[in-house]
Amino acid sequence: MKLSRCNFFLAMFAVAALSCVSVAPAAAAPARHPATAVAPPAQAAAADSDHTLAAMQDELDRARTRLELTIPGTNEPARPYFIQYRVLDLDVHTIVAEFGALVSSTAGRNRIMSVDVRVGNNNLDSSNFITDEGFSGFLGSTGTIGIDRDYDSLRQDLWLATDQSFKAAVENYSKKQAFMSRLAKAPSIPDYSSADPTVSVEPLQNSDWTTRNWEQEARTVSAALRQFPQLYSSRVTYHLIYTTSYLLNTDGTKIRANRSLAAIEASLETESDDGMALHNYYAVYRHRPDQLPAADAVRKELEKAGEQLITLRVSPPAADYDGPVLFEAPAAGSLLAQMLGPSLSGARGPLAMQSAFDQLMDRLGGRSEWTGKLGTRVFPGTVSLVDDPTMAQFQGRDLLGTYAVDQEGVKAKKVQVVNNGLLLDFLMSRRPGPDLDHSNGHGRSAYLGDPKPMASNLFFSSSDGISPDEMKKKFMDECKQNGNKWCIIVRAMDNPVLGVREQEDLSDIVMGAASGAATGDRLPLLIYRVDVADGRESLIRGAHLTGLTLRAVRNIAAIGNDATPFDFMQSQQAGFSGTALAAFGSADSGVPSTVIAPSLLLNDVEVRGARGEPERLPLVPPPPIQ
Amino acid sequence: MKKLALLVLITFLSFSAHAANKPARRPATATAEAAQQSPQAAPSPLIATMGQELDREMPILSKATPPAYFISYILTSSDRSEVMGSNGALLSSSESRSRWLETQVRVGSYDLDNTHKVGNSTQRDGSFGTGVPVDDAPDVLRRAMWSETDKQFRAASEGLIKINTSKEVQVQTAEEHAPDFAREKPHTFYGPEVSVHPDRKPWEDKVRLYTKAFRASPQILNSIVTFSATGDNQYQVTSEGTRLQFGQVHYRLELFIQGKAPDGMDINRYYNFDWANPSDAPDDKTVLAEGQVLRKELEALVAAPLVEPYAGPALLTGRATAVFFHEVFGHRAEGFRQKDINEGQTFARKVNEPILPKFLSIYDDPTERKLGKDILIGYYPFDDEGTPSERVTLVDHGILKSFEMSRQPLTGFPISNGHGRRQIGAQPVSRQGNLIVQSSLTVTNDELRKKLVEEIKKQGKPFGLLIDDIAGGFTFTGRGQPQAFQVQPLVVYKVFADGKPDELVRGVDIVGTPLVSLTKIVATGDTMETFNGYCGAESGSVPVSASAPAILITEMEVQKKETSTDKPPILPPPAHDEKAVR
Repeated sequence: MKLSRCNFFLAMFAVAALSCVSVAPAAAAPARHPATAVAPPAQAAAADSDHTLAAMQDELDRARTRLELTIPGTNEPARPYFIQYRVLDLDVHTIVAEFGALVSSTAGRNRIMSVDVRVGNNNLDSSNFITDEGFSGFLGSTGTIGIDRDYDSLRQDLWLATDQSFKAAVENYSKKQAFMSRLAKAPSIPDYSSADPTVSVEPLQNSDWTTRNWEQEARTVSAALRQFPQLYSSRVTYHLIYTTSYLLNTDGTKIRANRSLAAIEASLETESDDGMALHNYYAVYRHRPDQLPAADAVRKELEKAGEQLITLRVSPPAADYDGPVLFEAPAAGSLLAQMLGPSLSGARGPLAMQSAFDQLMDRLGGRSEWTGKLGTRVFPGTVSLVDDPTMAQFQGRDLLGTYAVDQEGVKAKKVQVVNNGLLLDFLMSRRPGPDLDHSNGHGRSAYLGDPKPMASNLFFSSSDGISPDEMKKKFMDECKQNGNKWCIIVRAMDNPVLGVREQEDLSDIVMGAASGAATGDRLPLLIYRVDVADGRESLIRGAHLTGLTLRAVRNIAAIGNDATPFDFMQSQQAGFSGTALAAFGSADSGVPSTVIAPSLLLNDVEVRGARGEPERLPLVPPPPIQ
Repeated sequence: MKKLALLVLITFLSFSAHAANKPARRPATATAEAAQQSPQAAPSPLIATMGQELDREMPILSKATPPAYFISYILTSSDRSEVMGSNGALLSSSESRSRWLETQVRVGSYDLDNTHKVGNSTQRDGSFGTGVPVDDAPDVLRRAMWSETDKQFRAASEGLIKINTSKEVQVQTAEEHAPDFAREKPHTFYGPEVSVHPDRKPWEDKVRLYTKAFRASPQILNSIVTFSATGDNQYQVTSEGTRLQFGQVHYRLELFIQGKAPDGMDINRYYNFDWANPSDAPDDKTVLAEGQVLRKELEALVAAPLVEPYAGPALLTGRATAVFFHEVFGHRAEGFRQKDINEGQTFARKVNEPILPKFLSIYDDPTERKLGKDILIGYYPFDDEGTPSERVTLVDHGILKSFEMSRQPLTGFPISNGHGRRQIGAQPVSRQGNLIVQSSLTVTNDELRKKLVEEIKKQGKPFGLLIDDIAGGFTFTGRGQPQAFQVQPLVVYKVFADGKPDELVRGVDIVGTPLVSLTKIVATGDTMETFNGYCGAESGSVPVSASAPAILITEMEVQKKETSTDKPPILPPPAHDEKAVR
């Protein structure tokens, strides 16, 4: 067993949290056979050479019946009331190319485990508590383990991880009780909910790397950007990921599931002549490598992204603006993903010994804006918001967030979050919350992280949506009524996680943008000024949107009928923050999701123009690209 | 991430054979191999490409304000294969190929540039470098060079402006009046390029076999065996005219096991084999035998009693002495520490003064590939500033003569002796290569042990210490910390004056101050032993070796080691649990 761990107190800070995410091996990928719920019976496991579930079962039984410790400072014996083992096999191929040349190509298998042992009972247990201490001990409850799917090495690794997790649980439980006895009023929300066991053992599947020459494709598509010598840099990354995940717990849940994910992510960078750093990105996500678009199609998309960025380079800087803003369909989906992230979750937060944690959550916009608002109006009366992991397709197109069973072994359920504008329900994992108790199958995580309630396939719609033409007309009318000479259309929102090449720059942006999350700062990518007199559009650069919290969408001036899917990798940090940065991950660090939303017209949006003093251009012009 | 990692490194210096701070116990059993001098070979097209971009950048940036006066590019092309096993199963098996570009731009002049230290300021701006294509794509490589040069030039310009401002208000010490960068002659050398692609399949079976053997011991909680093969080619181009190309190959097998004493103390054992020629790889018999030694030591340590604080005579075996000198002496002889006001500057004003017993001399010699039959992994033909490596006499018969020097000069030491080293991504500083401790007053190792017993009797102590293995410790050289060192002995025996058998003890830390302890060496053995490992400090982790004979110290102070409070596992290992279902 090899350890890989992020210190929690580091993870509390957004910058370090990103660093932690980036070292994790690969992503939890979407269901390969989406809505097919419960598959062949457990016996199927005997037919292959995979001893994983057998080793997990035997060690789980031994730990459940024989682990016992005395709670520190008492004579009370403590035994586990719940044990859960998760194991994840990763087979990952990552290929990076720029301007037609291969930068790196790595392939390899890994296996990680995570053990959760709980002491106490469902109402009050060892979890949901942040102590004032870091981790102690040299073997932990998570780590990298052998990939042979053999019996003996896995039992050895699980044995130590279980021991460590149990001891930590006993200590946490005791500290938590002591801490709660000091509180004027101890919180009454339970710690863990019961759930029906699920048994689903899929046949073992092997990764298929044979279909295409991925390295050559990466070279070919990235070469399309050679025609833009004004680009300072560019990078195209192919992520091809196969996973087999295992879950076994003392409730009787037993799962082996195969998944895969394929992605192409590209970033393009340049500077305007007055020194403003600018970028564009392209991303496409599919369930399987063979579903990725062919090289020709990708080349065309990259050319389009290149042309957009070159146009952006020479476009005028944005001025400050207050007034109507039209978010066209894919941009509206991205905006909703950022705004809704923290508020869809109905799970409780942890108790923290240090108040700094609470303050941090607030400052980073990690707080739900909807807690305690069940039954109240949160959107216009025509709006419906549904999250449905069981739906495989929309208008004949695969959805990214589809799965049958969540990462806590709970069967996925469709959830009507909002109907007729009224908040009716939350997304729930097995962690109860102030308003709701039980999981509705939305406990999701990247890799083996802590499962949190996260959206899967999120549908935002209106019962009286209007056509794009009508939307445009209404938008222009609003502008005229407002007396504006020009107005703003947003065609694409940014994903800085993909767009920024330098990790150091990214850290700065995290600190900047994350702290603006609570006030609703959002980053657009392609934003246009529309002349109210003649309808002419021109791209502008350097704008920020601000004030876009969920309050701002309780009233929406108009909603389109042009529902469009927006695929993205949802960050594990979504519970922390609702910024573009915290909402979005990349293929190797996020949870696959789709938002299906139409265009939105908001009447009163604050757009902040370009700020700050740009740096001078490089003294040496870029070298030629032949 | 990288930034964080470097910050951590700056706080202490450590010497370890691998990341978990475990030292080698015994030299590798490589067979003798003619250390061939690399013949000149044809330059790679990379050299020409790098030269072209340099020729475009330098004329413009050298006329800027402030002007760039020095630009260097290092491109490191690495082949790396790694196979890891744990507890009888394969952990991972991978092969990678990468190229990393590092760019250095200095602005100002040799006498005063952007790297100048003023007071307590620590300048660390700019880029760690960037990955560049593994395909030979000249225009793409040049674009990366251009972008990195711009970044480094901006950071350097800002740095120099800040320095000029704070120089006005801060007091300068004598050491700080030395120039910032040494003038050196350019060098041209084109060695053959290397490439390493071992067949990983047999190693996958081997790491399974080696780690499976450890499962036989109920005391071994966890085992990791790692095989790695690295082939690095370095290409250097500088505005002074230096053009270098050379390759190095390194194979390594590491065995690591973990256990726990009943009181919760972590017990780890580690061993590494290093070789440069595929045919020198250790065979299964050798590795399994070494595994058995580690297992026995671990089992004995788990059962051993704790040591109480003690001061008295101690005998350090050769490899333990090697680590001891690396920590206590080697780091303090690094030139840049004599200049930095934050450093203790232990030896800064002691040149030509006695600091050791007369019979001891110390060299740092990165030009040697081997000592006896052991390979020395601190070998390199040129350092990371393009200076040819040199054998440096640090101490001659007890008299301090010189320091390990990079191109950062000291008063009285104006030029480099080829010790400017760095881990990829970090700025080079003066570091050790192959540290060699030589004695002109030797006795056989048996006689040395007799002398230990005599010393115990003379001092009227109940016992003395025999220290057989030392893990890299922490050596604080900064002024903020006490000038003390702490090295962690892993295998320590009590030696009794009355002929009772030696008793293994655990939980020992050596404590003391460096200058004092060095003067208390009274005799040495006659057999050189070598430790190969990785040393972490300000410029990252670099491969080093240390070689020394056994030494007898009249007084060494030990204290109880900090320990984990984590108790051993509640249940027995599944493979050793009679009640367990299988």
